[in-house]
Parts: sequence; structure tokens; C-alpha cells
Amino acid sequence: MVFLSFINNLINGVSLGSVYAIIALGYTMVYGIAKMLNFAHGDIIMVGAYVCFFMVSSFGLNPVFGILSAILVCTVLGILIEQLAYKPLRQANSLAVLITAIGVSYFLQNAAQLMWTSNPRIFPAIFGNGGLQLAGGQLMVPYKTLVTIGVCVIIMVGLILFTGKTRTGKAMRACSEDKEAAQLMGINVNRTISITFAIGSALAAVAGVLLCASYPKLIPTTGSMPGIKAFTAAVFGGIGSIPGAFLGGILLGVIEIFSSAYLSTELANAIVFLVLIVVLLVKPTGLLGKRTSEKV
Amino acid sequence: MLKVEGINVYYDKIHAIKDVSFQVKEGEIVALIGANGAGKTTTLHTVTGLIRPKSGAITYFPEREANLYDLTKMPPHKMVEMGLAHVPEGRRIFLQMTVLENLEMGAFCKGKATKEDLDRVFARFPRLQERKKQVAGTLSGGEQQMLAMGRALMSHPKLLMLDEPSMGLSPILVEQIFDIIVELHRSGTTILLVEQNAEMALQIADRAYVLESGRVVMEGVGSELAASEEIRKAYLGG
Ligand SMILES: Nc1ncnc2c1ncn2[C@@H]1O[C@H](COP(=O)(O)OP(=O)(O)O)[C@@H](O)[C@H]1O
Ligand SMILES: [Mg+2]
Repeated sequence: MVFLSFINNLINGVSLGSVYAIIALGYTMVYGIAKMLNFAHGDIIMVGAYVCFFMVSSFGLNPVFGILSAILVCTVLGILIEQLAYKPLRQANSLAVLITAIGVSYFLQNAAQLMWTSNPRIFPAIFGNGGLQLAGGQLMVPYKTLVTIGVCVIIMVGLILFTGKTRTGKAMRACSEDKEAAQLMGINVNRTISITFAIGSALAAVAGVLLCASYPKLIPTTGSMPGIKAFTAAVFGGIGSIPGAFLGGILLGVIEIFSSAYLSTELANAIVFLVLIVVLLVKPTGLLGKRTSEKV
Repeated sequence: MLKVEGINVYYDKIHAIKDVSFQVKEGEIVALIGANGAGKTTTLHTVTGLIRPKSGAITYFPEREANLYDLTKMPPHKMVEMGLAHVPEGRRIFLQMTVLENLEMGAFCKGKATKEDLDRVFARFPRLQERKKQVAGTLSGGEQQMLAMGRALMSHPKLLMLDEPSMGLSPILVEQIFDIIVELHRSGTTILLVEQNAEMALQIADRAYVLESGRVVMEGVGSELAASEEIRKAYLGG
């Protein structure tokens, strides 16, 4: 029994961690290329979840359509935010950009409150309530959990292939290293930054749906805490690194679930941040963070 | 091929380039020499649009006088399509990407790096072929300079602009790099060479301009400048 509950906690941890990882991948990509912390990233998750909620619960549409609408709306929203709020600040100092990002975050939360009120909505069980029976029926892994973990792995592998093999993906890496040199190669840096925001926001939409599939209470601040934790995960894994964001996200989810199961539910968040601080003290670049080596 | 007329460039209030004019004709090697801080890099950055001039004109005409392009209005990422390649000071290769990926980025404006283009660069720089899978940050200084030049050649430039290719290299490597510049010139590339190493630059340049505190203070035929008393005193150590 003890062993089964351990396995159960582990699966839940990996599942929650997968959601963090998907959010962290968006954070890390935007940071890697635009060199900014997009604190509104978490709130895009919330918008994605609301869009899917309305499509499925209010209009009775198929969940697949709900997810696709969420991705579409968030992608457009991400590009708009970048163009309207961040692009004019390309030459400004990073503090101004950070404050703007926090402003955008509150703007999205307040707009959501105005449009959708702060009454909690209960997100529909879009992946059903069934699950995979294991260990002779003693352990059930819900389908939503399997989908969440599977989608996360697919996204991470997809991003690694995209940045490693495609022309646009390589241009992104070039921009993340040296924007001026990238321009001299003929790379349109502004366009590349927009593409990055589009991808990050599409991922946020997916994360929003997966998050609410497991934790169905949806309010305008739903994305806020997972956003901050995913940021933590990205730093934990090494900001700018795609495998780092994945690893950081999964570890964070597992640590959080284990802390609340075996130590204290109240202190779970504190423990998560304590682990982060310890890791950064020992390895300031994060688990898989890159050191830039320069040669003369 | 390139005509710069009376440009003035500022960094906030610092007037870095003062009324600079020069031109590069098709088939020439033109050198821009001057001490550290004279404004050589700023001048090149202004040509490729990384910095914009407050006043003055920069015109590029790759096919004689047929098509005139106003470079002060052109976004930097469009320039390489027009046949202008800029190898920046300090090489600025992508250190975390492989040698091959760096070369692919050089051909970005062409869509894909063709095998012929890669082979052509590898023939010129055999060291790069040996190390094509290696991450660029692990290359030696000389290899990094070769990669920076090879990367620029991937776009088939008509005008190749090199900013201090000799910087930080041993005399033997400097010789090698300059030999390659001369070869590139022979095979039809027009070259604008920015150098602090006036001696080397004047040896290979058809014409040269001397920059001092943001102004052109002298211009002339490379060999004549090399022989002139003033230049010998100021830049060639007597
Ligand atoms: N980014 C910058 N901000 C402010 N001043 C600069 C900047 N870059 C260069 N300068 C100044 O402009 C002048 C010319 O510099 P630069 O073009 O780099 O000279 P060079 O390449 O000939 O060594 C110098 O006085 C330098 O201090
Ligand atoms: Mg310079």
C-alpha cells in the first residue's frame, strides 16, 4: 500500500510537473531569444483555459475544437502583446521591460475579471473520468494524466527538433546568441521574436487546458501561481535551455507533490522555493544552464 | 560600388563620425585605417545599418550605376541579399552552434546552404571541414576568424567588408588571413578592409582612407600612403 501510494504520488508529480514544464518551455524560449522575462506568460494560460471552457461548456463544441480555439486565441494574443507592449521597448533597459510585463500580467487578469467575473468556473472533464487500471486494479492512472505527460514529452521533443533542424529554429538560436550578427546574416530579428512569442503563447494555451483538466477550478488568477512556478522551473533547469525547462518542470512538480504528501501541504510551496534557492547557490546557471565560453 | 557621402553618426551626444566620405569601386581593395577609437567600426556599422547616420548619404550600386540603393533606409537584414557581407569586429560567430550551422546561417538569405557553396568554403578553409561538427566556441582564434569569413562567403557577396580580421592573431595567422583576402579579391570580390594594422592593410590595398577621431584626415593610393612620412610616423612605427 505504501509503495502504491508512492507510485501514485510520483505519477501525479510528473503530471503536474509536465504542466509546469510546458509553461517553462514558453518562458525559456522567450527569454532565450527576446532576453526578457514575460511575466504575463502565466496569464496567457488562464486566457487559454477560459477560451476552451467557453467553447466546450457554453457552446457545447467538441473539446478538440476547444483546444484549437484556445491555441489560436493565445497565439494571436501573444503576438499582439509583443507588438504593442514589448516591441516599442526593444532599446529600453531591462527594468522598464520587466515592469511592463508585470503591467501586462495585471491587465490580463483584470480584463478577465471584467469580462468573465471572478466567480469560479468548473472546467469540463474533457479527457473523461476513466483511466488505465494497473496492479490488478489497485492503481488507476487517469487518462488526463497520461495525456498531460504524453503531450509534454511530444512538445519537448518537437521543440528540440525544431530548434536543432529547421531553418527558422536555427535562426532563433542565432538570434538568442547575437542579434546584430544574426541581422548581418539576413535574419529578420523582429520577425523571429514574434514567432517565438507565438510558439510560447500556443504552448501556454495547451498548458492552460491541461492544467484545468487536472485542477478544474478556473478563476482569473488561475495562471498566476503556475506561471511563477514554471518560471522557477525554467531558472531551476537553466534559463534558456529547452531540456533544462523540461527537467526543471518535472522535478518541481514531483517535489511539490511529494512535499505535500509526506511533509506538509501548507509548506509545499515554501519547500519548492527552498529547493530552488539551494540549487542556485550550488549551481547559479541552473541544472542544465549553459556557460558561454569565449575564445580569443 | 559603394559611395558614402558626408555621414555624421552620434552615440547619444558623442559625435563619433564627422562628415566622413569615401567610396569603393568595383574590383578594388579599399582600406580604412586608423588607431583604436578612430571610428572605423562605427563607419562599417553605419554602412550595414546597425547604426543610422544623423545626416549624409550611403549609396550602393552593385551593377554599375543601373540600380541605386539608399542604404540609410534599408533594414540591416536586407543588405546581405544585395551582396553586402559584413564580417564584424571580434568575429561574432555563433559560439554555441556548430561550424556547419554557422555556415548555414551565412546562407540564410539564400534559403538553404547548397553543397556547392559549402564545398567552395571548405576548399578555401580546409580546417573548417575537419571541424564542421564541432561547436564553434571550441575553435581557436584563427579558426574562428576563418569561420567568420567562410560564413560571410556563403552568401556570395559582391562587396565583402572585414572589420579587423587580424585582431588578436599571431603574425603567421595574420599572413594567412591576408593571403586569403588577396585570393578572394582575385576571384572577383570587392573588398572594404578596416584595419588597425596599417602596415599589412596598405600592402594589399589599392586605395586607403585614414580615419582620426571620426574624420577622414588623408586618402590616397595604398603604396603612396605607405611611403608617406606622416603615415610612417603615426601608424607604421617610424
Ligand atoms: N556603443 C557605443 N556607445 C558609445 N560610444 C561608442 C560606442 N561604440 C563606439 N563608441 C565610441 O565611438 C568612437 C569610435 O569607436 P569605434 O568605431 O569602435 O572605433 P574603432 O573601430 O576605430 O576602434 C570611440 O570614441 C568610441 O568610444
Ligand atoms: Mg573597431
